[in-house]
Amino acid sequence: MTSTNATAEETVDILVIGAGASGGAITAWLAEAGFNVKCLEQGYWQNPSKYATASPDYEFEMLTNWAIDPNRRRRNEDYPVNDSNSPVTPVMFNGVGGSTILWSAHTPRFHPSDFRVKSLDGVADDWPISYEELEEFYDLNDEVMGCSGINGDPANPPRSPRQMPPLPLGKDGEKLISGFEKLGWHWWPSDSYINSVRYGEGRDACNFCGHNHMGCYQRAKSSTDLTYWPRALRCGAKLETGARVRQITVDGSGRVTGADYIDSKGTEKHQNARAVIMAANGIGTPRLLLNSVSEMHPEGLANSSRLVGKNLMFHPFAMISGTFPEKMDTWQGPLSNIAMSQEFYETDKSRGFVRGYTYQFQRSLGPAWIAKGGFRDPVPWGEGHHEELEKRLGSVMALAVIGEDLPEEHNSVDLDPELTDSDGIPAPRLNYTLSKNSRDQLDHAIENARTVLEAAGASDIYVDPMMRQSGWHLMGTARMGNDSTNSVVDRWCQSHDVDNLFIVDGSVFVTGAAVNPTPTIQALALRTADYIVTNRQDLKG
Amino acid sequence: MTLNTSDTEVNEDLLAALLDRLIPAVGELPPAGQMGLVPEIVRLSGRHDLFHSEFANFMISFSASCPEFESLSGNAQDEAIRAFESGSPELFSTLLTISYIVYYKDERVHRRIGWSGRPPQPDGNEMELWDESILENVRNREPFWRQV
Ligand SMILES: Cc1cc2nc3c(=O)[nH]c(=O)nc-3n(C[C@H](O)[C@H](O)[C@H](O)COP(=O)(O)OP(=O)(O)OC[C@H]3O[C@@H](n4cnc5c(N)ncnc54)[C@H](O)[C@@H]3O)c2cc1C
Repeated sequence: MTSTNATAEETVDILVIGAGASGGAITAWLAEAGFNVKCLEQGYWQNPSKYATASPDYEFEMLTNWAIDPNRRRRNEDYPVNDSNSPVTPVMFNGVGGSTILWSAHTPRFHPSDFRVKSLDGVADDWPISYEELEEFYDLNDEVMGCSGINGDPANPPRSPRQMPPLPLGKDGEKLISGFEKLGWHWWPSDSYINSVRYGEGRDACNFCGHNHMGCYQRAKSSTDLTYWPRALRCGAKLETGARVRQITVDGSGRVTGADYIDSKGTEKHQNARAVIMAANGIGTPRLLLNSVSEMHPEGLANSSRLVGKNLMFHPFAMISGTFPEKMDTWQGPLSNIAMSQEFYETDKSRGFVRGYTYQFQRSLGPAWIAKGGFRDPVPWGEGHHEELEKRLGSVMALAVIGEDLPEEHNSVDLDPELTDSDGIPAPRLNYTLSKNSRDQLDHAIENARTVLEAAGASDIYVDPMMRQSGWHLMGTARMGNDSTNSVVDRWCQSHDVDNLFIVDGSVFVTGAAVNPTPTIQALALRTADYIVTNRQDLKG
Repeated sequence: MTLNTSDTEVNEDLLAALLDRLIPAVGELPPAGQMGLVPEIVRLSGRHDLFHSEFANFMISFSASCPEFESLSGNAQDEAIRAFESGSPELFSTLLTISYIVYYKDERVHRRIGWSGRPPQPDGNEMELWDESILENVRNREPFWRQV
């Protein structure tokens, strides 16, 4: 698979594919250590002062040009994902910063037990690494991204002091908390990568605009274009935007030699590299590996285990909302960064399922958002419309359930036989069904959410038993393990098959835990960077 | 009367008649169709290709399904809308979405519901600090994460 008609470039030490959460972190760390690193990113830089939240049309933009679902947004740099075989649609952003441009920045960590699910609960597999091995990298990532929070949570191991005090809970948050307090259930102010005070380079404190899922105008929400990337570029890393990778190339022995890509002007190019690091997320990475077929890798790159694309995990996600009699200005403050509850996180087999779930507290937004339904059905049209709108506005709060999905081989990303992106590259297709264990978790969580919302004073409880547009956490499609026959990468995120290929996004997750994954993704990327710096100086030219 | 978007014509009178039924009069405000919102609906829907084509599809399908809509009584119009909604929920949702967005971005509506109406940025909002004593119960709980 050597490119013939592509324009050749100089050879870099490390070529990173994707400039998102993991790509930013690993590029910065390797560049600081003196590696000659280049990153290819299909999207572009964003200008925070142009984010749509400053436009009077922001509510329309949220559903269209700034939609979280790339199949709706349809920018040229997006690629289509066939999700017709999945009850969950994938959501992501393609650009410098990757999905952290649109993320909520709710940043809990895995629990120690999450790395040992086979030993503890007899399901799935243990990770080949432990919480303790990752801890220093969690800390390092918190420092670079900047974490607001407070220590002392009894549901989690003690951790290093947070960089900033927690974000305000708000009248609405305190109202929800009152339900948990009445029942004696755990809750704790969320760790968030959102500035509660000024922190980082040119990054202000949050001004509570409420719309952090549309890009942060204030630069208060941490996204890697604001954190890791300035650092990486200062250390000499190169970042080419508008550069869409078609395939990873290999030599006659099967080792990677770089990547073929299409640049922003539509020119086919080749980038030579001593090593390649995949950071294109849990869908983009298996798509590229499967598109990189060669004589040495007939099933796709790094796929001798045939597990590339298999074991796709989302977090099963339900939303239970209630209406409170009080008006609480629920549009003030980040939408999903109040508090969380891990009362039902660890396995209790008497519940009829293994593993558990987190509740993430949710606010609601302004009148157009409420009228369209927000987390519920739309406000009915016609008679009664105005009364119902009045009842919901400023009074709806919700609990999002993040359940732990277990890996199953039939849940997968493969290549669509027909669909392609705007450059003609085969697009990914999802095949996903929700397991019984995940459904049982969600049902348990829905009943408990009803109880706690009512305890807090809410009525008119509305249940979305599994939100369709909730594929924000993309995991498991190139899993990590010690055994090359049942995993794609080793404990250092290095491919078992190809010693100069690494994967550092959520694809490598063995299991998904029941928390938002990004601190864990970034900690793993930093740990891999550390490994390369210590053990792979051979990759330096 | 028709309004031209980039490649479709929107029957403005039909759209106004629909809006009248979707969002009725309230207080001093007339029904939405009589508030002059139609040009804004047409403008906004043209800002995104996919949305624009869905909206155009809605207009074509609805007028085909009920060509006499504007001459029906209010109740009969409601019935026609409901029939369309249950037969083509996704297309109908396009109309509802754009109608609600445009209605709730109108200053007259903001004044009525007491909504500040400005975009979330650059001003943001004020929030109060909180009192950490609220953590007392949970802080005193024994650690309960599973040791491995
Ligand atoms: C709306 C939303 C809310 C979220 N909220 C949270 C949250 O609160 N907490 C949390 O932990 N996580 C959250 N997430 C998830 C989080 O954003 C992701 O886990 C994280 O960004 C994944 O990092 P990554 O590096 O794997 O991939 P990404 O950040 O998605 O970056 C991948 C990059 O690779 C690029 N790429 C892909 N294919 C190619 C190609 N062929 N050529 C060139 N470039 C390519 C893409 O353009 C993209 O920029 C949220 C996500 C969304 C969308």
